[in-house]
Amino acid sequence: MSPLPKSCLYKPAALLAVPLLAACDGPLSTLTPAGPAAVQIARLWWAMLIGSGLITLLVMAMLWRALRHQSHDHPGPAAERRWIIGWGLGFSLTVLTVLLGFGLWIGERMIVRNDATPLVEARAGRWAWEFVQPGPGGAPVTTQGILYVPAGQPFDVAITSFDVIHSFWVPRLGGKMDAIPGHRNVHRLMAAEPGIYEGLCAEFCGLGHSFMNFRVIAYDPAGPLPAFTDAPEGRP
Amino acid sequence: MTPRPQDDTQNDAIDVTADIPANPPQRALRLHRELDEVWRDLPGWRGFFTSVNHSTIGKRFMATAFVFFAIGGVLAMMIRAQLATRDGAFLDTELYNQIFTMHGSIMMFLFAIPMLEGLALWLLPKILGTRDMAYPRLSALGYFCYLFGGIVIVLSLLFGVAPNGGWFMYVPLTDKTYSPGINADVWLLGVTFVEISAMAAAIEITVTILRCRAAHMPLTRMPLMGWYLLGTAVMMLVGFPPLILGSILLEVQRAFDWPFFDVARGGSPLLWQHLFWLFGHPEVYIIFLPAAGALSTIIPILSRTTILGYGALVAAVIGLVFLSFGLWVHHMFTVGIPHMALSFFSAASALVAVPTAVQVFAWIGTMWEGRVQFRLPMLYIMGFFATFVMGGLTGVMLAMVPFNWQAHDTHFVVAHLHYVLIGGFVFPMLAAIAYWMPLICGRWRVRGLGEAAFWMIFIGFHGTFFIMHLTGLLGMRRRIAVYPENAEWEWLNLVSSGFGMVQAAGFALFAFDVVMQWMFGRRSWRNPWQAPTLEWAMPLPAPSYNFASLPGPRQPDAGALLALARGEGLLAGAPRGWRETLAVEPGSGKPQHVAVLATNTALPVATAAAIGSFFGLMLAGLYWLAPLGIIATMVVVWRWGALMGTERDHPPVQVAPDMALPLHWQVRTTLGQTGTMVLLVADATLYGSLLFGVGFLTVVAPGWPPPDSGVGTGWMLLLALAALALMAAGAIAARLAESRRAQAGGRVWTRIGLVLAGLALVMLVGLGWGLDDPTRHARDALRGAILGFAVVHGVIVLMLALRSHVDARRGRIGLERRGAVPAWQLFQVFWLGTTAASLAVVVAQEVLA
Amino acid sequence: MIWLARALAGPMLWGALFSAVYALHGAGCNLGWIDVRLGPADLHHAAMWAVWAAGLAVHVLLVRTMPAGQGRQRKIITAASWIGLVASAFTLFPVIATSTCF
Repeated sequence: MSPLPKSCLYKPAALLAVPLLAACDGPLSTLTPAGPAAVQIARLWWAMLIGSGLITLLVMAMLWRALRHQSHDHPGPAAERRWIIGWGLGFSLTVLTVLLGFGLWIGERMIVRNDATPLVEARAGRWAWEFVQPGPGGAPVTTQGILYVPAGQPFDVAITSFDVIHSFWVPRLGGKMDAIPGHRNVHRLMAAEPGIYEGLCAEFCGLGHSFMNFRVIAYDPAGPLPAFTDAPEGRP
Repeated sequence: MTPRPQDDTQNDAIDVTADIPANPPQRALRLHRELDEVWRDLPGWRGFFTSVNHSTIGKRFMATAFVFFAIGGVLAMMIRAQLATRDGAFLDTELYNQIFTMHGSIMMFLFAIPMLEGLALWLLPKILGTRDMAYPRLSALGYFCYLFGGIVIVLSLLFGVAPNGGWFMYVPLTDKTYSPGINADVWLLGVTFVEISAMAAAIEITVTILRCRAAHMPLTRMPLMGWYLLGTAVMMLVGFPPLILGSILLEVQRAFDWPFFDVARGGSPLLWQHLFWLFGHPEVYIIFLPAAGALSTIIPILSRTTILGYGALVAAVIGLVFLSFGLWVHHMFTVGIPHMALSFFSAASALVAVPTAVQVFAWIGTMWEGRVQFRLPMLYIMGFFATFVMGGLTGVMLAMVPFNWQAHDTHFVVAHLHYVLIGGFVFPMLAAIAYWMPLICGRWRVRGLGEAAFWMIFIGFHGTFFIMHLTGLLGMRRRIAVYPENAEWEWLNLVSSGFGMVQAAGFALFAFDVVMQWMFGRRSWRNPWQAPTLEWAMPLPAPSYNFASLPGPRQPDAGALLALARGEGLLAGAPRGWRETLAVEPGSGKPQHVAVLATNTALPVATAAAIGSFFGLMLAGLYWLAPLGIIATMVVVWRWGALMGTERDHPPVQVAPDMALPLHWQVRTTLGQTGTMVLLVADATLYGSLLFGVGFLTVVAPGWPPPDSGVGTGWMLLLALAALALMAAGAIAARLAESRRAQAGGRVWTRIGLVLAGLALVMLVGLGWGLDDPTRHARDALRGAILGFAVVHGVIVLMLALRSHVDARRGRIGLERRGAVPAWQLFQVFWLGTTAASLAVVVAQEVLA
Repeated sequence: MIWLARALAGPMLWGALFSAVYALHGAGCNLGWIDVRLGPADLHHAAMWAVWAAGLAVHVLLVRTMPAGQGRQRKIITAASWIGLVASAFTLFPVIATSTCF
């Protein structure tokens, strides 16, 4: 994966579509991706945004023309062929097939497989996160509120819950995965560069939901190991 | 004369080649008085509690839905006020949780569904050329269940105990451990109570469309609204039972600790999600289809042409009805389901856009081929296009699995769903109201207000929700009350909140416009849009009986207004003092018999109160008193049977000069018979959902199978087989009770059937003693639920057998008359079939374990 | 009314097929079929492929035999039968394209 820009990818496209999008930065922005999964999804998003923008314009242009077009006929078979077979079926099926293929292909590259990817544990409970990760010498270390992972290499997160359903989400690294009591979900992520990435619980879990955040610290595997400290009061 | 083969290139709704001679003309005013005497509501407050007329009930549904829409809207504004700044101190978190839960629940269950039910109830008989819905009392029952349930749900907010677990109520957050209060019970019981109205509406919409059309209106020519509402109703029949089942199971878990969703004892929280979304996604299309039906009706008329691609639109409806049941897992892309399974649902979610695209392009094509008149409804339709197309496109985006992993549970989804629901439902409904208001109130609108309301709603809506896509992509998740560390979302939220207020003001102006039109508009002339459809073949506002005589091949469209008013159509007037309408053959629309419908009665409100007493006792936690509510319901329901029979044979009714048809008491294929079958389709879906639960937990839930408890299985198998044998014998008895009904000894079979049903029921209850404690493990809880299903149906069969027996003794069963026997037969066979299937499942579980 | 049943046959078959393959996928992952070799593939894939292929064959049969009557009736039956076929092909093609049980 090539080095990643800090700001939006495909900025010209963004500016073309919506001027508002000048501000895509943010600690939780999916549009400031910092790992391969998030990058690919952001790319998919920009592609879909451009396609959707064009389709919206097309439909609006058709409507505009339809409003001004004066005809005294009742629609015949030729009109049916054009509108139903041509636009309704042909156009939509083509676009959707291409998009679905793209979506599945990206999805395939993101999923967890049985390989030697290092594993960390994320345990959700109202309303804090507990993590278990390999520490000095590979021995597991348990931390509260901060997950320590090496940058530049993929890691799997095994996600479980102590109580209700939560969801593990680090927007700049990739998609989310639910923490469901009685189930153990494994989710693959990677941080391309060392840094601090904000994470949060994405599934509504009651009174403390707004504050159920955590932090991922990606350290340089070549450098000294971090101290594996807890977040103050269990929360970043 | 023999009918010529149908020429489907014609656009008449009625097959004009099937000739039925006209009745002699009469004085229209005399006919009006005769009919109105029979059909009108009682005056004043008595009328509120006794009316069953579809126009009254439909308008009431819509007005009540609009009140709930206003309440839901106020809640939305409170949410926006809270989120406008990052440290919003307007609401505390507990109250905020209640408010967003209630906003979603009210908009879905107390606004959208009742609104479409109201439109269907009010419009359908008019557009199909008949006088009322198939079951007027059921309309009224549905309304009161909706009203009572809705009031309880809203009151809970005032008392601070409103549901607070989100509108999709995920367990374990909503189970007894994490929601010990009454809040979740309000949702489960209140919504289920309200859903009685949805099921009632679904059944009667289906039967009305299939059986109560104008004479010789074939299905293939029925106005498209009929197809759309048929699709809606069928989806409701199949879509709501999973939710109803899920709510029952969760309430049973909360009340009696049966662990359907408890992982520690073999349950799974994912079962709730499956059941909920198995309803929840089709729900979106249930809401969209009637709106699309309104568009398919209004667009060609305001484009002065005919709809493009009638057949393609019908096929699109069929496609949507089916495909929308294959999407539910796209709400669950992040729960840890393997990628291949996600891909099935991703592909289905993408594919469902095709029938939608077919419709959108058919509508644009219709406008293109015609001459668009830019009247007020057209303005709202433009609002629909601009909004819905974008909502559809973001929907396709969310169907892509990887993107969904990022966008799920963020404000991107909030924006998307509002684009779809306001674009796909609210804008078309506003167009529909603007279009049909003259028929509702007989008046023309006040100039200017409607346009102003439109622009405020439109600008307010897009200002609120367009940038919310970005808010979501910047990481703002749903259902948070404050975001102190995320200053970058603040201006976005502030903009959304500001425009939200504009939008709310727009809706208020719309409501004001409707009231102004109702009270001060000038009288509208007849058929103001020059539409061909039958709902305009009546004076404005629509009279209580709709048509003085019913449309047939000689009165095929709105042009027959005067002929119908003069009684030249079929079944003119109300000479017998009954509310009569025609029942037709489902496919061709050939008249079959004359149905006598129920008149004003307080029975529906009494029934709703009885059902409500059960829900109220459950809500109060008085579980051991709750059976009293069931008994009260059974007592009231017993009284409904009175219309099923008559003690004597009536002569056929002269419908037209050469056509005499029997009354419904003397035919087998009554509307009631069709309705029973439709009800059983929904019932079978409920049962199927229960079996899905068994299969799902067996495969997915941890901790299966439970330890063998060693409870004797041999004698239970024998007992179950004996019960099945009794049910089979009962089915034979029910058949003989019909085939020998005219013979002297025929009456004995109803008695035998009654005894057999009673014995089988006793054996089922006996089986209950042998079951493992249902609180032990989800498997045992499911077995308890399966047995409960059989027992409930046993009670229904017993009541129908008893009804048949009483009918036979009172002479309501004879050569021509069958009383309740056909309904009894259907339920008996259903009882037998489901119980046999249940036994097979339990045996399979034992053998495999 | 019989014609409506003809029209619904295709979409109903899609419903059955979709449920069957989804159920097979769940059951197969749970029962470890992926580790059972069966010719060039494993039991899990083979089972899903077989059901899908058989279903598509029946769909083709329906498209050829269901349409009856004339005019709109025939049109609707034909369209609905195709909807069934396309839906089964489109929504279940991931059985040959995506990885299972992960």
